Parts: sequence; C-alpha cells; structure tokens
Amino acid sequence: MKTNLYQNKMLIDDLSCFFSNKCVLENVSLSIIKNEILTIIGPSNSGKTSFLRTLNRMNDFNSDFSRKGNVFLDEENIFHMNMEKLRMRVGMLFAMPIPLPMTVYENVIYAPKRLGVIKHGKKSEMDAIVEQALRDASLWDEVKDRLDSSAMKMSGGQQQRLCIARILAINPEVILFDEPCSGLDPISTAKVEETMIALKKRYTIVLVTNNVKQASRVGDRTAFFLMGRLIEIGGTAKLFVSPKEQKTNDYITGRFG
Amino acid sequence: MIKLNPKLSQKFAVAFLFCATIVAIIPVVIIIFIIIKNGYSAISLEFLTAMPTNGMRSGGIFPAIVGTLSIVFCAILITLPIGVCAAIYLNEYAKDTLLTRLIKLAIVNLAGIPSVVYGLFGLGIFVMFLGFGVSIIAGALTLSIMELPVIITTARGALNSVPPAFREASLALGVSRWQTIRHIVLPNALPGILTGAILSIARISGETAPILFTAAAFYLPHIPRSPFDQVMALPYHLYIISTQIPNMPKNIIFATALVLLMMVLSMSLIAIIARIYFRKRRKW
Repeated sequence: MKTNLYQNKMLIDDLSCFFSNKCVLENVSLSIIKNEILTIIGPSNSGKTSFLRTLNRMNDFNSDFSRKGNVFLDEENIFHMNMEKLRMRVGMLFAMPIPLPMTVYENVIYAPKRLGVIKHGKKSEMDAIVEQALRDASLWDEVKDRLDSSAMKMSGGQQQRLCIARILAINPEVILFDEPCSGLDPISTAKVEETMIALKKRYTIVLVTNNVKQASRVGDRTAFFLMGRLIEIGGTAKLFVSPKEQKTNDYITGRFG
Repeated sequence: MIKLNPKLSQKFAVAFLFCATIVAIIPVVIIIFIIIKNGYSAISLEFLTAMPTNGMRSGGIFPAIVGTLSIVFCAILITLPIGVCAAIYLNEYAKDTLLTRLIKLAIVNLAGIPSVVYGLFGLGIFVMFLGFGVSIIAGALTLSIMELPVIITTARGALNSVPPAFREASLALGVSRWQTIRHIVLPNALPGILTGAILSIARISGETAPILFTAAAFYLPHIPRSPFDQVMALPYHLYIISTQIPNMPKNIIFATALVLLMMVLSMSLIAIIARIYFRKRRKW
C-alpha cells in the first residue's frame, strides 16, 4: 500500500459486516485518500450505509452487529481505539438533519463543551468556535442574528448545515456523510454540496449517496456497491464515462436501482 | 342478525360509546358531591391546624395531615432517585438479554401486587427485622418499595419518548454515553419523569394498607420529631373515625375525606399543569 502516490487517510482491509449473522458487507477493501471526496453509490441494501457506519463504529451500539476485517485510520486500527476519540476524529452526518433540541449556538458548542476542547471556558473562546464553524458550514450569514433561537425552527437545509457546523466545531479529520441531501430540496442540496467541496481542503470526506448525479458532481473518486460487495472503485470522471464493470454501467445509466 | 344501514349503526355506536363514558364519570361525580355536601360544614382553619380532642370527635386533624405529608415526602425522596437510576440503566445501558427481559417482566408484575402484601412485607422487614419499629421511615420505605415499579415504568416511558436520533447525533460527535444521557436524554425526559413522580405522590398519599402495620398510629396528638416516630396518617385516621369510634359526628368524617381527596386531587392538578408547561417548552 506504500506504493500509493497519495497519502491514505483510511484503509479498509477485507471488511465484512453482519447483522444477526446475515452478511451485509462482504470482503470490502479500499483506501480513502487524504483530502478527497470519496462518493459511494449503490442501490438500497447494497451495504453502503453499513460500511459508512462501521468507519466510526456507530454500528457498535447494535448488539446484533458483528464484523471481520480491519479499518485503519492513519495506520491505527480503529477497533483498538477508544470509541469516543475515534468519533472526534471521524465525524458523521446523518440522512435526516438532527438538530439537538436547543438553540443554534448551543448546538454548535455542545460537543466542544462536552469533550473538553474549550480550555478556559471563556465566552469569547466559545463565540469564536461557533462563528468559525458556522462560517465553514456557510450558515453564518443566515443565522448570525438568531443564534439564540431554537434550532428546531430552521429549515431542513439550514438544519443540515447546522449539523455540519456541529461536526466542524470539534475539528475532525474525516467526515462521513450518509445521504445528507435525501430530505432536501435542490437549492439546499446545492448549498450542502458547495459546502462539502469547500471543506475538502481541510478534511477527508466520504459521501454515501443515492443520487448518482450528486456523486458525479462532487466526487473525486467513486465506489460502486452492490449486494454488499464493492463492484468497482475509481476516479469519478473515469467511472462515469467508461466503467469497467457491466453492473456499474447498468446502475449509472439508470437501468436498475 | 338484523342488518342496520351504516348511518344508523354509526349513530348507535357513538351513542353506546358516549353512554359508557358517562357511566364511568357518574360515580366520581357522585362521590365528590356527597363528600363535599356532607363535609364542607366541618372544614375550618381550626379543623386543619388543631389537634384532635374529645376522643377524636372534635378538634382538628393536623397531626394526620402532617403525618401523611411526612411519610409521602420521605417515600418519594427514597423512591425517585432509585427508580430513575434503575430506569436509566434498563433503558439506556442494559443489553436485551434474557436476564433484563426477566427483570422488566418482574417490574411490571410487581406493580400488580396487592398493597396489603407490601404492608406485611414492610412489617416483617423494616419494622421487625431491621428494628425501625412502627415509624415514618418504616412506612416510607414500604411505600417506596410499592411505588418503585410504577416510577421505573413511567420513567422508562419518558426516556423512551426522547427520539433515538438525538442520542445518535450526540454519540456521533464523540460525546460519551453518560454525557449524552446527562445532557441530552435526561433534560428532555424530565417532564415525563416529574409527571410520573407527582402522580405517584398522589397515589401513595391515599394508600392505607402499606402504612397500616408500618407507620400509622391510632391516636397521637402531637407532631413527629424524627423519622423514627410513629405518626397519624389521613387514610388510616379516616378508617378509624368511620368504623371504630362510636357517636362520631358525620360531618367530621366527611370533612376528613374531603381533605384527603383535595390533597390527592391537587397533586394530580399540579402534575397536569406541569405537563402542559413542559409540553409548551418542548422544542421538537
């Protein structure tokens, strides 16, 4: 793996996942390169969300879940890491925006506070974190005058960007997006996509999406999953123009899925 | 069978369901009416704040009110923290194994045990074995054991009503499980837990059987000084004056019942108001 010109941020080595002994992911091996957007496409039940949730061990709470194989983050096996530490480094955004039932400000500062990132507990320090996170999530201009209003009252697109800001506030290394635009209108989707592209300068992004066009718009590389298997992975442009596998071609041209 | 047309059968159904509702309400209305009609004449400031005199045939019921309040206060102080902690464990941490399922089943079944059985249990364990004697503390412990399953069940319901997505969102940020419970789950479950607690207070204030052998005194015209004192209690006092004392004035019996009823009703009212208040503040 050292032959790679790019730096691997995460390395997935022969990973298989099971729910109650039913295999949902079979022998997947791939690498995630630093500062890229890796998009994962595939029909439902292809195991793409299970894959994503394994990368920051969100599946570990499910007692039916088991896995084989390993995942490395900067050459460190994530299954030997402290779960909370891992999630600080590998953040996750869910399909539906889930603002916590508190104000916009509190939503952003929630995790830094709990994780002890704020050293002195000064108001100015917290304000700076909140502003920076909201700016990076391109939400600051829309909410700067109502930081103290409930996050539940925002629109869906704003809520999703707030959730991004919440993750940015703890400054992770990798961000996992699980169909982040499935509940959003086209304009909100465009904003979230812009945000993602802006973020890849500093973060490594994995995006699972049901929307093939979205994958072609934002992905540097794209992986195609089907029935729990990785069918093909490659540069997005290449994969969409001349896929190696017939199944990939069928899927991206809309013949099934 | 006669086949009714849909419109008619709809009318019959509504009428029948309405009658059932009325039948359910009527006894409550009649009870409250009779108690108020017969009891209000004896209610006065003196009745609420004075010691009973003349073999309880006159004077007030102050020690019984204080006794009931102190037993209930101690009981809720014991049962609420334990119950909420157990509910948190069962709902948030316990894995779904055979053992936890058995524990949950046992808790549901405990709520169905007759209260007099708890009374006998309290007599055996707290009064005799642990040597607390007939006292506030023995009565409170008995009541709290009786109320634990109810508190646990309502608290679990309240915890369950917090959307799982909130927990997931918090955990995904690297926040630990306990911090998630402490800062996300508990604040949002609090209204439900409080409502359950207040309704429990209302329920145990009226219980007679569990305190019969463990806390209540027949006649004790002074205020308790420590948790190890015996006290008079309203439900038991009511039982005594209505069955054991000859030539008891009717209006004092009904007035005592009225005071007990008002205590329980006002607790329930507080619970309802609290629920409305918290529901308005809820942000999802």
